[in-house]
Amino acid sequence: MVKYVMKRLLSAVVTLIVILTIVFVLVRQMPIEGYFDNFDKLDQSMISARLAQMGLKDPIHVQLFRFFGELLHGNLGTSARYRVGASISDIIAQKAPLSIQMGVMSMALAMLLGIPLGSAMARSKSKFWDKFGTVFIVFINAVPAAVYYIYLQSYGTSLLKISMLFNRDDWKTWILPVFSMSLGNIAYYAMWLRRYMVDEMNKDYVKLAKAKGLSNVKITMGHVFRNAFVPMIQYIPTSLMYTVCGSIYIESLYSVPGMGGLLVDVITRQDNPMVQAIVMIYSSVGIIGLLLGDLLMAVIDPRITLGKKEDVR
Amino acid sequence: MGLLRKIKTDPFEKRMQEVLRARREAAEKDPFGFAAYDHASAERSGYSNYSYWGSTIRVFLKNKVAVILLFVLLLLVGFTLIQPLLPNQHVSGQIINHPTTGVQMSNVAPALSTVRAVAQPGTDLIIMPWEDPEWAAVSNVLQTIKARTQFTVLEYGDDYCKVEIDGKTGYVKNDFSTKLKLPDNPQDTPYPSKSNFAIKLYSAPDDYTNNGDPLFVRKEYLNIEGENARTVSACDLCVLPSKAPFLFGTNNLGQDLWALVWRGTRTSLFIGFTVAVIEALIGILIGVVWGYVRALDRLLTAVYNVVDNIPTTIVLILIAYVMRPGIRTLIFAMCLTGWVGMARFIRNQIIIIRDREYNLASRSLGTKTGRIVMRNLLPYLVSVITMRMALAVPGAIGSEVFITYIGLGLPVSIPSLGNLINAGRKLISTSQSYQLVFPTIVLSVITISFYMIGNAFADAADPKNHV
Repeated sequence: MVKYVMKRLLSAVVTLIVILTIVFVLVRQMPIEGYFDNFDKLDQSMISARLAQMGLKDPIHVQLFRFFGELLHGNLGTSARYRVGASISDIIAQKAPLSIQMGVMSMALAMLLGIPLGSAMARSKSKFWDKFGTVFIVFINAVPAAVYYIYLQSYGTSLLKISMLFNRDDWKTWILPVFSMSLGNIAYYAMWLRRYMVDEMNKDYVKLAKAKGLSNVKITMGHVFRNAFVPMIQYIPTSLMYTVCGSIYIESLYSVPGMGGLLVDVITRQDNPMVQAIVMIYSSVGIIGLLLGDLLMAVIDPRITLGKKEDVR
Repeated sequence: MGLLRKIKTDPFEKRMQEVLRARREAAEKDPFGFAAYDHASAERSGYSNYSYWGSTIRVFLKNKVAVILLFVLLLLVGFTLIQPLLPNQHVSGQIINHPTTGVQMSNVAPALSTVRAVAQPGTDLIIMPWEDPEWAAVSNVLQTIKARTQFTVLEYGDDYCKVEIDGKTGYVKNDFSTKLKLPDNPQDTPYPSKSNFAIKLYSAPDDYTNNGDPLFVRKEYLNIEGENARTVSACDLCVLPSKAPFLFGTNNLGQDLWALVWRGTRTSLFIGFTVAVIEALIGILIGVVWGYVRALDRLLTAVYNVVDNIPTTIVLILIAYVMRPGIRTLIFAMCLTGWVGMARFIRNQIIIIRDREYNLASRSLGTKTGRIVMRNLLPYLVSVITMRMALAVPGAIGSEVFITYIGLGLPVSIPSLGNLINAGRKLISTSQSYQLVFPTIVLSVITISFYMIGNAFADAADPKNHV
């Protein structure tokens, strides 16, 4: 167990370093305008002086080592255009809590709605709930999220008679962003839970339970659901990724002052250091999510740590 | 056993069926009697005419929704390709100005035709100053009557009244916009009347203008004498000197949305198909090497673990940010991570079937590795590769919409569904919401069709469903 955890941690750290390096090197290829707030007014000598001052004229590996050194001190650099000279760590520390709060709420909502939907679909095979759920899942999976987010915002806000934009103190304006963010995950949970539950229902122990005379509710809740829920754990990291990516849309659509909206903001303003920092944070979230998912699975299913991964046959 | 039931009915089979029926009948009469020796039954053996692709297609055709969507999709893709060649099309991206006023035709509502009215033969029209070899700009406004000017009503009608003013006779509108002063019994003509507003005197009991702008008629329908003209036969009065309607309306720049939507669909489908093909090629290549060459397994698994851990969306954003916006950038960014899923799948399958007996035999006989891969391994995977490609297309189209939304997508000069949706997004709660609705409908039909067809094909290709 310990060996597996160490191995998994090591690979996550290696991946993280590789990704941060790639991001760093790629962002260095950007036009240098993105490091200045008043590029047009500067002459050539001032530009090169500023670049040298920021250390952008050093060889790339020197820059990279300096960057990792700073990173270990929790320093992500300073913003160049978005809020000139402000520390990126401070900006993100301001913005992140709201995003995390919303993300957690939407994931909780997704479980709250997706799991009952999935089990309802499995139990009512080819009746109303199954059909409804299938249409819902196909729609959410096939239609690009941007499209239904837009319609949901427009019709939802006019239906609830609230403002189109997010307001932290008005709980009503939380409903639509959180709900929109959870839609993808609701479909995802429902789809997989239904599949696992249908698989479980065809197993012999269910027949035995039926033969013993257990009620349907007891079989579904006590046996089928429990067994079907275990493999669902592995979808939590992916759903975390969905939430993070969804937040990019949702936050800028509703003007939520969080990280996702910030990313869109700094991209349009071409603030290189900020883009670099936020992209790095998002990719770290993805990696940490996958790591957590694997560790959770290892805790729940001890077979994994024996080194027999499912796909290595 | 369902397959046995579908045995070909060749003459031999027919005879066999007859023999069997006779034996069944005999058995019913005397269930415990000895069966007589029958040569045909002795030779009978079960055989199956199972064919993988035949069964796959049969199962797929049973899925009615998928078949209908496949049909819709083929029609849509076909239409998208031939749309610019059809008659009566506007050029996509061309800004359309009004011919006489020169104003952009912006935010024109969707309409099925350009015909505003149909003029009966013998209608008097006035030619407006505008030069064109085929079309004439016409209106039927004889003059504008100033507010509170006296005129005589000659004939009363509910919509139009025939009036006389300064020796000219013509028609004026009789509705809330003119509010004619009428006596108690308006049918008792003639009587003097006036309006409190400036009103127009028409040559016919109909308004042949487009809110004051002239309409357009083909010249062959007209008998032109100087400024006046008379229609020879019944003819269409069009809003524009063209029969090409704005089926989807126009956008705020005065570009025809119909042409833009199909051009955008072509762009999006091109991106989708290209990404699907490139992903499949890279995925198959790497997957085969990964699965077949044992020495490379560790290295490629390590690479896979890194690439698979990077969130796709983030790669997309980063590449689109760093590189110049364009179709190539988008395709490159999408392919950069998209091959991973395919490669891993191919690798797993290849590991499973690599060491089966028939492959061992093949290798022992000296077959070259390339031939084993092409002939023995890949044909097993065709169905899944097709399915993954079908699902990659809507994925790529959706990514394009996403990246355009963030502001890193294609430049506005290249219409794509993402661009059009992004432009229409701001108009959703206005009367111009059709600028969002039409692109989203086309987009949704395409993505849902691909998704459903891909899934139905995956089900159909699974031999478990072939019985």
